Amino acid sequence: MKLVVAIVKPFKLDDVKTAVQDFGVQGLTMTEVQGFGRQRGHTEVYRGAEYTVDFVPKVKLEILVDDDDAPRVAEKIVEAARTGKIGDGKVWIVPVEGLIRIRTGEAGSDAL
Amino acid sequence: MLLADLDLRGRAFGAALADAVDAALIEAFGDLDGSGEVALVGLGSYARRELCPGSDIDVLLVHNLRGRHTADTVRSATEQLWYPLWDAGFVTGHGARTVKESIALAADDLDALTALLDVRVIAGARDLATELERKARELAARRRARVLPVLADTAELRRQRPGAIAEMLEPDLKEGAGGLRDVQAFEWGGWALGAPGGCSTLLDLDFLTADDLARVETGRELLLDIRVALQRVTNSRSDRVALQEQDAVAAQLDFESADSLVHDLARAAREIAWIAGDVWSRVRDLLDRPGAKGARFDEAFAEGVWLGKGRVHVDTDPDGSVPPLRMLDAACAAAEHAVPFDRTSLTRLRATGEPTWDVWQRAGFVRLLRSGEHAVPVFEALDHEGVLVRLLPEWEHVRSRPQRNAYHRYTVDRHLLEAVAQCARLLDAGEVRQPSGHEVDVDAVVARACRRPELLLLGALLHDLAKGMPGNHSEVGEATADRIVRRMGFDSEAREIVPWLVRNHLLMAEVATRRDLSDASVADNVAAACAADAERLRLLYLLTIGDSRATGPAAWSPSKAALVRDLFVKAATAIERGETKAVAADRRDALRQRLGEERAGVFLARLPEQYVLAFDVDTMCVHESLLSDSPTVRCERVDGGHVAITVVADDRPGLLVTLAGALTVCGLDVLEASLFGTTDGYALDVFRGADPFGRVDDDDGARVTQTIAQALAGEIDLAVRVDERRRAYAGLGERAAPEVRIDVNSEESETDTVVEVHADDDIGLLYRLASAFTELALDVRIAKVATFGKRVVDVFYVRDSNACKIEDADAVAQLRAALVDRMTG
Repeated sequence: MKLVVAIVKPFKLDDVKTAVQDFGVQGLTMTEVQGFGRQRGHTEVYRGAEYTVDFVPKVKLEILVDDDDAPRVAEKIVEAARTGKIGDGKVWIVPVEGLIRIRTGEAGSDAL
Repeated sequence: MLLADLDLRGRAFGAALADAVDAALIEAFGDLDGSGEVALVGLGSYARRELCPGSDIDVLLVHNLRGRHTADTVRSATEQLWYPLWDAGFVTGHGARTVKESIALAADDLDALTALLDVRVIAGARDLATELERKARELAARRRARVLPVLADTAELRRQRPGAIAEMLEPDLKEGAGGLRDVQAFEWGGWALGAPGGCSTLLDLDFLTADDLARVETGRELLLDIRVALQRVTNSRSDRVALQEQDAVAAQLDFESADSLVHDLARAAREIAWIAGDVWSRVRDLLDRPGAKGARFDEAFAEGVWLGKGRVHVDTDPDGSVPPLRMLDAACAAAEHAVPFDRTSLTRLRATGEPTWDVWQRAGFVRLLRSGEHAVPVFEALDHEGVLVRLLPEWEHVRSRPQRNAYHRYTVDRHLLEAVAQCARLLDAGEVRQPSGHEVDVDAVVARACRRPELLLLGALLHDLAKGMPGNHSEVGEATADRIVRRMGFDSEAREIVPWLVRNHLLMAEVATRRDLSDASVADNVAAACAADAERLRLLYLLTIGDSRATGPAAWSPSKAALVRDLFVKAATAIERGETKAVAADRRDALRQRLGEERAGVFLARLPEQYVLAFDVDTMCVHESLLSDSPTVRCERVDGGHVAITVVADDRPGLLVTLAGALTVCGLDVLEASLFGTTDGYALDVFRGADPFGRVDDDDGARVTQTIAQALAGEIDLAVRVDERRRAYAGLGERAAPEVRIDVNSEESETDTVVEVHADDDIGLLYRLASAFTELALDVRIAKVATFGKRVVDVFYVRDSNACKIEDADAVAQLRAALVDRMTG
């Protein structure tokens, strides 16, 4: 099993959700996060009020999938989240040691 | 078994279960006591016959035995009594003590003491049980100075944790504020206050009204019903009505839906919690000033409203009624001083007349909303006495209405009050003057700019009033809000903006989180939704923050705050851009009136579109006359001790270099330069500069105009003269390598590339930077120079020779290199 983790632009959440659901993903976890990539933060001014945007709002998604599905789920996310502009985010895949569904006790791929 | 008989609810179940346990214990007790010196008593909820399926059964073996005999009797009693109960699955709290031991224990432990205030004899020596109860009650009364503050404190703590039942999505029936513990605490407090004991004492001492007590009793019955049903459903001892259990509990108690269950529970708990807050705050007063009858000092707040002994008092008119304005004054007094109403006065407010909504009543109402978080308990008190619905009949619909989603933590009515308080807090922040140079909060700047802050407060109060009505609550709410502001007699702007705010209160949060803010049309659409009115945008932005903060922590994350702020700034910019267009149109009209249609038309046709935005009509008239007898140089003093230099010359590359050089040679510091080329080949360049040496005063600017004329004619070697000045003032010593930052941005302006140069101030800096642009054949159209101490920021709006932005990466790199070269060279 693999954990597909993605950082995407907040307004792309619905598109990504639809895309992975269409692919057949059963569930995902989303978290509102803030961070920066190569674009760094920046300072903006509104009527003399200067404010620093050190961290840009993003959404983090975590999706558990079978090994074989991981690259294709990642690809779906990339397709759905791309705007071509700076700050589109990243997707990465990490191996998962074990998995248990709490309610039933099912383990491994059965718990997906 | 009792559990299966669903007709047995709440108290009936508790009594039936207590009877069953009684019977079992009586049988087990049997003939244990032949001496009349042992009694089996029930305590707490068992004594009150309020058992729930998962309740502990608190029993105590009271005895009067001494010596070795004791141990034997107690051991055999334990075996006879407790084991059967344990085997039957009851968790029992138990003990075996003499009356004296029990009282000694209670003296040190409030929980042990309160347990003994309710005692019921089950078997054995009745006298012993009675003696125990009497001594415990006497102890409570003797210790009242210690008992009452603890009861008051724990009641207060329950409000914070676990919180008020009426406001929780998953309420705790026992420990939540407004729950069973609050009800029991009344009884205990009554015993601590002395005879006749319990709630009767509270009634006698006027802490409770008969009406209050009736409401408490009704609430207690409902709490017990729900608790029994909940524990039946979960088959556990849980007192928390979790979301996933609410449907089953509602079905068992024949509620229409989980919503109506939560609604009724919230309503009952709200009454209890309010009464508890009121009782304990007055008990505290009694403790602080035992027997205090004499007024400390009274302060008149308004006609018929005064503050005394930390309470707001209200007088009635001779006919027993209270005029609406006086009620509002009293409410403002309570909110602004953060003090409760005197209990009698609060009851008097029931006789408040129908509001007529004259200008004073409207102002009083707005003032109450503006007073912030302390207005929340005031509104609740008014609602408790049925006064709030007289001001706002629509409140009936939202009172205790649950919101069953993961974001909300309050019922609708409390959420609305919280939203008002949060908005008032935002307005407070806008009133605090930040020391200059300090990093200023955008939200505070927005709040300060609001022209009609009261509309924000009204919008906050009304925004969710249509929750739970059929249809979209924003749309239905718009109509409701419209009706309300009309009824209250607000002006036409308020009648337009408040319903609009209600209709659109979710707009910014939705757009900010679901749309691509880097797409300019997104902000434009929001600006259009605000009818391009900056005030509407400000109010909607603040309402979005206030509403979200009042919803719960999950609804207002730093991430969402940043997105909404970003959207606001972009939409505000879009509106300003629109306003700019309107300003330009106005100026053109004004100039036509001044100069006549034809002259103005000819003049404006010679200049680029942005020209009208740069100058007022008077200045434009001056330019018009200067342009008709070119070339010319004009130098004059203007506001702020500055000097304005207007140059009309043949347009040519490097003109800015020449002029900047000439001004440097004259000893003037350029602060701003606006450069325009006419369609017929002239340049109109306007400089605003500082005159640190007072040169212009000496000769009325003659030397400046002369120097510029000479420079334009090529009679001065500017490079040499500027360098001389630079060396004269900067000294010849080692210069630290200047720290330079250059930003090149082609997004910011629609027509030009914006180049920002941050550097240490230096004589002739503008001259040298301008020459870099000239060298690359770039056209500088506007230059602004801002000085911050030793640092300067020069901003240039430039285009290339084809009148396009500089977007090619190589060209940008070349420009950077040229600028750096000029500054370090």
